[in-house]
Amino acid sequence: MSVPDYMQCAEDHQTLLVVVQPIGIVPEESFFRIYKRISAVSQVNVRDSQRVLYIRYRHHYPPENNEWGDFQTHRKVVGLITITDCSSAKDWPQTFEKFHVQKEMYGSTLYDSRLFVFGLQGEIAEQPRTDVAFYPSYDECESVEKRIEDFIESLFIVLESKRLDRATDKSGDKIPLLCVPFEKKDFVGLDTDSRHYKKRCQGRMRKHVGDLCLQAGMLQDSLVHYHMAVELLRSVNDFLWLGAALEGLCSASVIYHYPGGTGGKVGSRRAQGGSLSAEAGNRHRPGALTSNGINADTSAEIGRAKNCLSPEDIIDKYKEAISYYGKYKNAGVIELEACVKAVRVLAIQKRSMEASEFLQNAVYINLRQLSEEEKIQRYSILSELYERIGFHRKSAFFKRIAAMQCAAPSIPEPGWRACYKLLLETLPGYSLSLDPKDFSKGTHRGWAAVQMRLLHELVYASRRMGNPALSVRHLSFLLQTMLDFLSDQEKKDVTQSLESYTAKCPGTMEFITLPDGLKLPPVPFTKLPIVRSVKLLNLPTSLRPHKIKSLLGQNVSTKSPFIYSPIIAHSRGEERTKKIDFQWVQGDVCEVQLMVYNPMPFELRVENMGLLTTGVEFESLPAALSLPAESGLYPVTLVGVPQTTGQITINGYHTSVFGVFSDCLLDNLPGVKTNGCTVEVIPALPRLQISTSLPRSAHTLQPSSGDEISTSVSVQLYNGETQQLIIKLENIGTEPLETLEVTAKTVNTKEKLYGDFLSWKLEDTLSQFPLKPGKIATFVVNIKVKLDFSCQENLLQDLNDDGISVSGLPLSSPFRQVVKPRVEAKPVNPQESSKGGDFSHVKTLEAILNFKYSGGPGHIEGYYRNLSLGLHVEVEPSVFFTRVSTLPATSTRQCHLLLDVFNSTEHELTISARNNEDLILHAGECQRMAIQVDKFNFESFPEPPADGTQYANAKQLEEERQQAKGLEINSKLDIWEASVEGVLNQLVLEHLQLAPLQWGDITCGIFPTVIDTRITSFFSSPCKSLFCI
Amino acid sequence: METGIICHRPQNYPLYIRSVPTENELKFHYTVHTSLDVVDEKISAMGKAMVDQRELYLGLLYPTEDYKVYGYVTNSKVKFVMVVDSSNTALRDNEIRSMFRKLHNSYTDIMCNPFYNPGDRIHSRAFDNMVNSMMMQVC
Repeated sequence: MSVPDYMQCAEDHQTLLVVVQPIGIVPEESFFRIYKRISAVSQVNVRDSQRVLYIRYRHHYPPENNEWGDFQTHRKVVGLITITDCSSAKDWPQTFEKFHVQKEMYGSTLYDSRLFVFGLQGEIAEQPRTDVAFYPSYDECESVEKRIEDFIESLFIVLESKRLDRATDKSGDKIPLLCVPFEKKDFVGLDTDSRHYKKRCQGRMRKHVGDLCLQAGMLQDSLVHYHMAVELLRSVNDFLWLGAALEGLCSASVIYHYPGGTGGKVGSRRAQGGSLSAEAGNRHRPGALTSNGINADTSAEIGRAKNCLSPEDIIDKYKEAISYYGKYKNAGVIELEACVKAVRVLAIQKRSMEASEFLQNAVYINLRQLSEEEKIQRYSILSELYERIGFHRKSAFFKRIAAMQCAAPSIPEPGWRACYKLLLETLPGYSLSLDPKDFSKGTHRGWAAVQMRLLHELVYASRRMGNPALSVRHLSFLLQTMLDFLSDQEKKDVTQSLESYTAKCPGTMEFITLPDGLKLPPVPFTKLPIVRSVKLLNLPTSLRPHKIKSLLGQNVSTKSPFIYSPIIAHSRGEERTKKIDFQWVQGDVCEVQLMVYNPMPFELRVENMGLLTTGVEFESLPAALSLPAESGLYPVTLVGVPQTTGQITINGYHTSVFGVFSDCLLDNLPGVKTNGCTVEVIPALPRLQISTSLPRSAHTLQPSSGDEISTSVSVQLYNGETQQLIIKLENIGTEPLETLEVTAKTVNTKEKLYGDFLSWKLEDTLSQFPLKPGKIATFVVNIKVKLDFSCQENLLQDLNDDGISVSGLPLSSPFRQVVKPRVEAKPVNPQESSKGGDFSHVKTLEAILNFKYSGGPGHIEGYYRNLSLGLHVEVEPSVFFTRVSTLPATSTRQCHLLLDVFNSTEHELTISARNNEDLILHAGECQRMAIQVDKFNFESFPEPPADGTQYANAKQLEEERQQAKGLEINSKLDIWEASVEGVLNQLVLEHLQLAPLQWGDITCGIFPTVIDTRITSFFSSPCKSLFCI
Repeated sequence: METGIICHRPQNYPLYIRSVPTENELKFHYTVHTSLDVVDEKISAMGKAMVDQRELYLGLLYPTEDYKVYGYVTNSKVKFVMVVDSSNTALRDNEIRSMFRKLHNSYTDIMCNPFYNPGDRIHSRAFDNMVNSMMMQVC
């Protein structure tokens, strides 16, 4: 007895063992088809009695186990069914001979046997024989079941006769001693007449009869016999058989208590005879109602109830029996099987702790050297039993050992496939699933150190199986889910081996389906690198689309009839969290910024990183990046071009790390911050590029209204100078440019600006429209600067102190008196005066030119783009009038205006005034010039319409002052050169004023004192400026 | 030889593992991991009856050839498992019990630390020292 049957359970004690075997050459498939049909007949209701026979079929049974048949009769092969394929009558004798040989094998124990011959037809088949049945083919054998039932009935008859034969207590006869194979030699030479020996024989026989009763379906009798056997054997200390008797008692009690069975395969085994077993169950119940009222044999019921062990006793007796078995080394298999049986019973009783003790004991039972296959079987069954009592971890542990055994180095051909399969079965025990989603949220589940080990084993097994895709998948899973638990060295090792695997078989995002139907979900590397935030970026300002505001404002919602409702506002608020308030444009490169970091202790190369989108056809332009070891947050910008219009949703990104392609969906990423992932893509718009004739400016304008300047240019001009700015408009997009609007805005309004700063003629440019892609149009802007430098106090003071000015005039230093109130009059910009000093007299003007343009499909939808050009103009003073004085002219209506002109530039310049010859001024030179002007009347001059308000204010503030008059003169004379204003004084004013007494026909006012001052630089610079006084 | 290990209840992952000597640690992992089956079983068996006044000390979980495994469960279902060399006969049930109580007190101290997130692995010098002294005492 060396081969344990791990599948045994207590009910097997009531079964008859029948071996079904093929002889000759029988196709395996056909044999098992017949075997299946035969084994379906597992319960037979014996004719004329209520008893049920249970049959256990085996297609393989070691004869040495058969030798233990006397010890426990269910181990005895009582029936043999052979199946053979015999095509011609010629082979028949030979076949029949083989049948006999086969019979010899189990000969000593067989009650009966049958031979099923398939394929033979003819006269031999015609002969009616009881032990041989002929069938023409495997498909035409309807009567197999019937035959089997007959066969079992014949077995029953033999069994019953044996039972009766042994049960009748013929005290006179000598009872033979039943013994197990290893005992035989122990009894040689024993005194067969001693009382001790006789008792032993009696006890063993009782036990044997109990077995037979149980098999014959007489539970009650068997219990009685077992009890008697226990008594007898206990008195003679025949421990092995005492154990067997106790076990028999347990088995019978188990059968009584648990008619549903304790074996695992209850469903399949009992299903066919469902009604039958229910009936059988009923029969076992004490005092159960049968069809003819209360069971007649009540005494038997009572007796049975008395004899039967209680559930607790069953376990105690099992323990006792096992301890007796344990005394015999050769009964190891019996002990092991008893343990297994007891565990199954305990599993049903839900007494896991005790069951685990039995199992623990079973682990330590030393059988002879087991073959590898047996070891695997043993570990698997231990695992299964642990599983049954709810010890999943223990179960997983043994299953893993079984798996390792499959691939033990001692096995010449390691069964990696089997090993892998078993390893997969251990996963639940280690609370591992192969779906990375289970690990993405919350804390880690399960025991990481053990899980890691298992995953490594899975990787190795799958690699040895020759399935690199599987090992890549498992290795990726290991890296993804166990990243926090891997040491730096392990991280390196794992990634290295991953890379070497993926060199042969790159990791994909497809499900891997195993042959047994298990699906391995893909493992996206969401932690390599870890993404912390995803932010959709707006287009650069110059490319941002704007909606032309229609008359019907967008506020009027079409969804609701209400103008305002808090409910709608609420839902809109929710929508807004997901939707972004800017748009992307079809055909333009759009960007998404990810903040990523690399958790690995080495440089991480991420290739082919791109966006995953839905809603709109999107051409993703993948990026490759290399993140330094354990980098901090690192911005990565992924770009793509939407090809159609509509709503686009960024679902995630795809990467390729270590040769594994992964699609990471944002929904599955924990702790990712995002500002919304849905954005609208509007139809394509043209793109405009501006290039100008002027150099680019280093200055960036700080615009007030929030719109950014794409480019800015700078130019340096002398006060009063005019320059042309030629702007080249190039359509670099793919859509025709259809409309263009240009507006200008002066940013720096601190300076008093005279005249048009910027002027252009749009018509010339628009005539070139629509502008086809790639075409260039030009646009000319005139820049003219006229600024007031009158407050350059420092400068003038310097001039005075230096004594450059011409003296001898009746005004000594009027400057300060006059200027002070002026400064007070302009409190709006107090920094200016201080700033003026710092900037060494240079004033800056800043303006923004806005180009609104549109075209193509986007234009139809009502979108336009805005391109801004910043203009930075630095204005240097050109000439100052340091002093003004008057001299009476020959006519009373006229006077000479004497102006001290100072050239503050570094160039030589020419001043030409009306009626005067040109005055050439060298750099830094000051000269006086005289202009003859008409006197005029202050009272009657009209308010200038353009700058009226400013002047009016000034006038009000300084009404009592003469200064007002100075202002008036300025405007009247159209002198914007403020230096004049600065140096005017009472005296000069008086000179300028018409005498109160004048003769009649004075027409006042029109005063054509336009002095064309031409400044010509005589140096290399060819600039020409026009001064107007 | 001894390992003191704490497992957190809901997910059964280790909070703290310590073994002397440190080689062959994986074996301890397996031992302790499988012993959790018994702990679970014991808790579910006694849990229903008296939740409040139940004994926290679970006693010997199971003996193996080389080791004895003892268990202890706090009311918040934090499990302490101790693996002791079978040959160490000096350790009686009472000593084991008091060691567990010490371990429990120390663990309570850790939980009182406002900077400790329940469920994180334990990195506490005080706890380390306590475990060390306990192991020294045993070995």
